[in-house]
Amino acid sequence: MAEGVVFDLGYRPHEGERLGRGGARRALYRDGLRRVLGLRRKARRKIFPFALTGIAVLPALFFVGLSVIAGEFDQAATLFGHPQYFDLTGSMALIFIALAAGELLIPDRVNGTHQVYASRPLTTIDYLVGRGAALATVVVGFLWLPHLVLFFGRAWVSSQGFGSYVTSEYEVLLTTLLGSFAYFVAYAPLAFTVASVSRRASLAAGVFLGMVTISGPVSAQLVDSGFSSMGLFALQQHPGYIKDWILDSSTHDWIPERAGYEPVYSVIVIVTLAVACWLVVLFRQRRIK
Amino acid sequence: MTAPSPIRSEVIALSGLRFAYGDILAIDGIDLVLPPGRIGLVGANGAGKTTLLKILLGVLPAASGSVTVLGHPLERGVLEIRSRVGWMPEGDCLPPDQTAADFLGYAAELGGLPPRAARQRASDVLGLVGLHEERFRFIGEFSTGMKQRAKLAQAIVHDPELVLLDEPTAGLDPEGREEMLELITRLDDFGINSVTSSHVLTDIERTCDWVVMLDGGKVLRSGPLSDLSTSDEAELEVVGDASAVAAAVVRLGASVRHHGASMVISYPSGDAFDVVRDAVVATGAAIRRLCPRRTTLEDVFLGEEDADG
Repeated sequence: MAEGVVFDLGYRPHEGERLGRGGARRALYRDGLRRVLGLRRKARRKIFPFALTGIAVLPALFFVGLSVIAGEFDQAATLFGHPQYFDLTGSMALIFIALAAGELLIPDRVNGTHQVYASRPLTTIDYLVGRGAALATVVVGFLWLPHLVLFFGRAWVSSQGFGSYVTSEYEVLLTTLLGSFAYFVAYAPLAFTVASVSRRASLAAGVFLGMVTISGPVSAQLVDSGFSSMGLFALQQHPGYIKDWILDSSTHDWIPERAGYEPVYSVIVIVTLAVACWLVVLFRQRRIK
Repeated sequence: MTAPSPIRSEVIALSGLRFAYGDILAIDGIDLVLPPGRIGLVGANGAGKTTLLKILLGVLPAASGSVTVLGHPLERGVLEIRSRVGWMPEGDCLPPDQTAADFLGYAAELGGLPPRAARQRASDVLGLVGLHEERFRFIGEFSTGMKQRAKLAQAIVHDPELVLLDEPTAGLDPEGREEMLELITRLDDFGINSVTSSHVLTDIERTCDWVVMLDGGKVLRSGPLSDLSTSDEAELEVVGDASAVAAAVVRLGASVRHHGASMVISYPSGDAFDVVRDAVVATGAAIRRLCPRRTTLEDVFLGEEDADG
């Protein structure tokens, strides 16, 4: 019988290519995706993101299934059109962003992993862009996926044929993608800011959710009391208002609208808030450079 | 294939380096040229060791002076330097919710290695530091010694030319300390230059061939360990009473420090061994041990501190 032989290969230097800063950025992005989705982590870390995605896609699958069984249905009469779908997934995205932002920034700081980043060819901006891009990919994907299911399901049962439906209605894909991005821009920067000053992800998520959800009723009260400018502080309302503007629909009596502001003001508010939040997070994470 | 690195005469060059935390001067005008090899950075707590290492990485900005690492001026090539330098911090730097293999692969990718090569390097380096069997365990389940080895692994996983080790034996038990010192000594065989910071002088004596002594942000001494640790003194142990031999040594014009049967003979104007020979002949004492006295790093450090006031 042959005997096993152990070969000590010793230290082998890396003689292949080095990808430099670009490779480091891509690694950061991939790690962000894995972290948000709980991949390569313990099983319990996967439950929340995948359960939420499942819940978000379920209504779309239901309506597509229904239309397959019952034939093509009147889109106008459908309870879950694209604008209405955002009202369901928008709230879920808010919770998802609250938890994911903390998961992306806080463990690196608390566990001292920043010191590893500080010894690699990365800047603070590389780090934040990598983390932000990972969250954007997952959140926009999460918000857009049900619309894709709904769109292609409808195309499948359409009497005009799959190709003709896609060709004539493709704008829906673009507007829903833009609407999804509006939700990300409205919520994620603030969630990152809260996460950058907290040492516990659950606490950061709670504070962020509290700020955003309370801003609606408080702003509504103030607007109704005559302080119309306070309509711009209804943080949870802006992405929905912008989404209705993009999709040319009217699903709610939005507070900024009630205060007399056009949707473009909501765009200005979320972009301004995003820039301010970016500067705060950049300052808080400056040690990597 | 990348071109082989040119042979360097220096890995680090500092000139007029200063750094302050507010009003507290942490680095006070350091000028240093450090050769390739195993460099020890020794000093008491607060001497400026960690600050100096962080300046070399570009994490802390120097208030004034110039820093060149691996031939690259820090102010123009911090990212280039970082891609060729590894860093093992004193504190925690490992995520508890990742396996060692996953984190090491990620750390290698962050150092610029392609994903496939990074996974292979992670496996190889975990084997080198003795964590091959534990590579699929979550880091949160590791002991302190295993975490220290994983920290060293992440510092070398991207195959750097220079690795900066900050108190690598901190918190380790005697066995873990031995293993860590052995690993640090092996870095030279891997072709990796190292700067090891420690306040434990014996660790530096065992692992380094060049020593930099820091105190209060200033360099007390910098040079090869062999230069610092040799002396002209003789160490003598005799059988029985040493008083007569000590008295004879003093009569011959040398100075002596003795404890029991052992003594250290110093003779600045000549060879201490000649004095020992003459004293032993004169007293008829029997020699148990005679050797050149090896100065410890502690002797040098304390002597320099005393001289510095």
